[in-house]
Amino acid sequence: MLGSVKQVWQFRTLVGALVRRHIATRYRGSLFGFLWSLLNPLCLMAVYTLVFSYYMRFNGGPHYHLMVFAGLLPWIWTSSSLMEGTASLVNSGHLITKSLFPPQVLPVVSVTAAMVHFLLALPILAIFSLLAGVPVSWTWLLVPLVVALQAIFLTGIVLGLSALNVFFRDVQHLVGNFLTLLFFLCPVVYPVSVVPERLRFLVTYNPFAALTQFYQEMLVEGVLPNSSSVLYVAAMCVVVGFIGVRVHSHYQERFAEAL
Amino acid sequence: MISGNTAHVGGDREVTDEVDYVVDIRHLSKVFKRKTRAVNGYTTFKQALLARLKGQRTVADKVEEPVTIGIKDLTIRIPRGASIGLIGRNGSGKSTFLKLITGIYKPTSGVVNVRGRIAALIELGAGFHPDFTGRENLVLAGIMHGLTREEINARFDDIVRFAELEHVIDDPVRTYSSGMFMRLGFSIAIHTDPDILLVDEVLAVGDAGFVAKCKDRIAELRRSGKTLILVTHDLDAVERWCDEAVWLHKGDVKDRGNPRRVIDAYRHHIEKQEEGALLEEDTAQVAAATSVDAASDGRQSSRWGSREVEITQVSLVGTDGSEKRVLHPEDTARVRMSYKVHGSHEGLVFGVGITRVDGLSVFGTNTDIDRVNLPAVGTSGVVECEIPRIGLVEGSYTFDVAVHRTDGYPYDYHKDVVHFSVRSDKREVGVSSLTRSWVVDGVRCSC
Repeated sequence: MLGSVKQVWQFRTLVGALVRRHIATRYRGSLFGFLWSLLNPLCLMAVYTLVFSYYMRFNGGPHYHLMVFAGLLPWIWTSSSLMEGTASLVNSGHLITKSLFPPQVLPVVSVTAAMVHFLLALPILAIFSLLAGVPVSWTWLLVPLVVALQAIFLTGIVLGLSALNVFFRDVQHLVGNFLTLLFFLCPVVYPVSVVPERLRFLVTYNPFAALTQFYQEMLVEGVLPNSSSVLYVAAMCVVVGFIGVRVHSHYQERFAEAL
Repeated sequence: MISGNTAHVGGDREVTDEVDYVVDIRHLSKVFKRKTRAVNGYTTFKQALLARLKGQRTVADKVEEPVTIGIKDLTIRIPRGASIGLIGRNGSGKSTFLKLITGIYKPTSGVVNVRGRIAALIELGAGFHPDFTGRENLVLAGIMHGLTREEINARFDDIVRFAELEHVIDDPVRTYSSGMFMRLGFSIAIHTDPDILLVDEVLAVGDAGFVAKCKDRIAELRRSGKTLILVTHDLDAVERWCDEAVWLHKGDVKDRGNPRRVIDAYRHHIEKQEEGALLEEDTAQVAAATSVDAASDGRQSSRWGSREVEITQVSLVGTDGSEKRVLHPEDTARVRMSYKVHGSHEGLVFGVGITRVDGLSVFGTNTDIDRVNLPAVGTSGVVECEIPRIGLVEGSYTFDVAVHRTDGYPYDYHKDVVHFSVRSDKREVGVSSLTRSWVVDGVRCSC
């Protein structure tokens, strides 16, 4: 376990260079570059606010659009990490079969690149908050901790899924469909309060949902999340991270032959 | 693309004897599982699930698993500074062996110890991204090879200069020709301070000038005490560069030792196999030709004529009468034609011709040209043309045979009816291997 983590640390220059290339690839040749990655959450925010607040007259609180935006940004990080990360080994198969390339670097690059996009979008959230008259609270300073939790959690999942995907290509299709379900199980477009008590466990025990809540609380409401909930998510991160690394290193030796 | 392969055990160095082995491979075996249920090389989740539901634990448990043996119990130790040439036919396990040394594949059993950094000139530019410039790809490839940014910056100009890409280094590599692509990859790999150089047939591409430069560079690295592992079909290169040749055959070491001796044995083996393959090919062709003839008007591109006199069988045999398909320039060749007479005929002429595989007519003659007094022929028989010394340079050739009337009226023409190769250990050029000798200052020299 520690060995694998250490290995990724050894290859940090490589991870850094690949992340840079990954981000640069996406915007190479486009005029607005990074701005395109903001368009998606902005559109979604506009549409959800329009549909839920105005058409359906759903009372999502005073700053519904901010809550949606604060939930969408980490969600996009999650979904693009899982989509790209799961397929990362298969998509870069030539590197693994033709050279001694550390395979764990590839899923880590997917998660990191998506994280960079997330971090770059946070200032936009701050601007929206100020425009809406919501002060940027001191709780923003603690957001890096939540980011770290989510990064570990996503890395663990993606390490495991990308390894399985080498042997069962169905995994990447399963992930796509699973993400659609998961989105609506996270309190992005609705507050937790509307979830009936007997179904509340779907939010409480779902680390993705809990993470969504953390961001909304710290970035919009300016309050600290429930500490037991944070502990639960932290524990899940350790467990999932551990399993992910184990699954990945278990199959790692067979990648070159299976790809 | 190797980043400092540290497969060695710390402190192992004292344990080994005086000789410093950079590659120490003991009882290495590699077995590939061939998954019977695999679709396009991988299993689908559905299949695994179905297998599980049917009570099989995993797909892998399915029946007795067929396996392919990549490498069989191989033990090789390569001292520092040595040059080893790996030879063998396609599928003999050369590439598997390289992937095991570089650590891409894990051995099924046995030990691979590699001390030092390997530069694998195998898949040049494997990590290049077409949309990025040569400069960007160079930096990333350097990092993949395990160099630091400072090291890359320090060598940047050398790498670009060696690759001769100064003017296009800031263009996207998708605009590069395949030669430029390869040059950049080669230049990066060779500038990584390798202890061991793995060269897998890469010198087969690129223009002559650059190949010469690469060869110079490899020779230079050899002189500076680097270890060279060369995988190639270019047997001359092995002979010129290597201290030892290792002949792999179906994953096994068939022979090893002095390059000259091993290469000769290998050449001999290839010739015998080739002979078998050419014989098979001809048999198949004759079978195909006959079946076509039966349904056609007898005017095929490879065979035509009225068939009043027919050549029913053609073979190329050696002095001992056995079928031959591979000859040496000094060998005797006999073209044997069996004929059958069906109708009336007058003034029969039998002919043979030799064509090089690219269509060049090498030689042709017939019984008329040679002023042979043909005895009266019966209804069937055999005509043989004996060539005491085939006298051709190395290459692939075919025999044509024909029987026609003195005025040219065709009875039966067979084009390209027997394929054969000439193999020589001399590298003469041209078409004909003429008999010759050299006299220097009045002294006849032995060859």
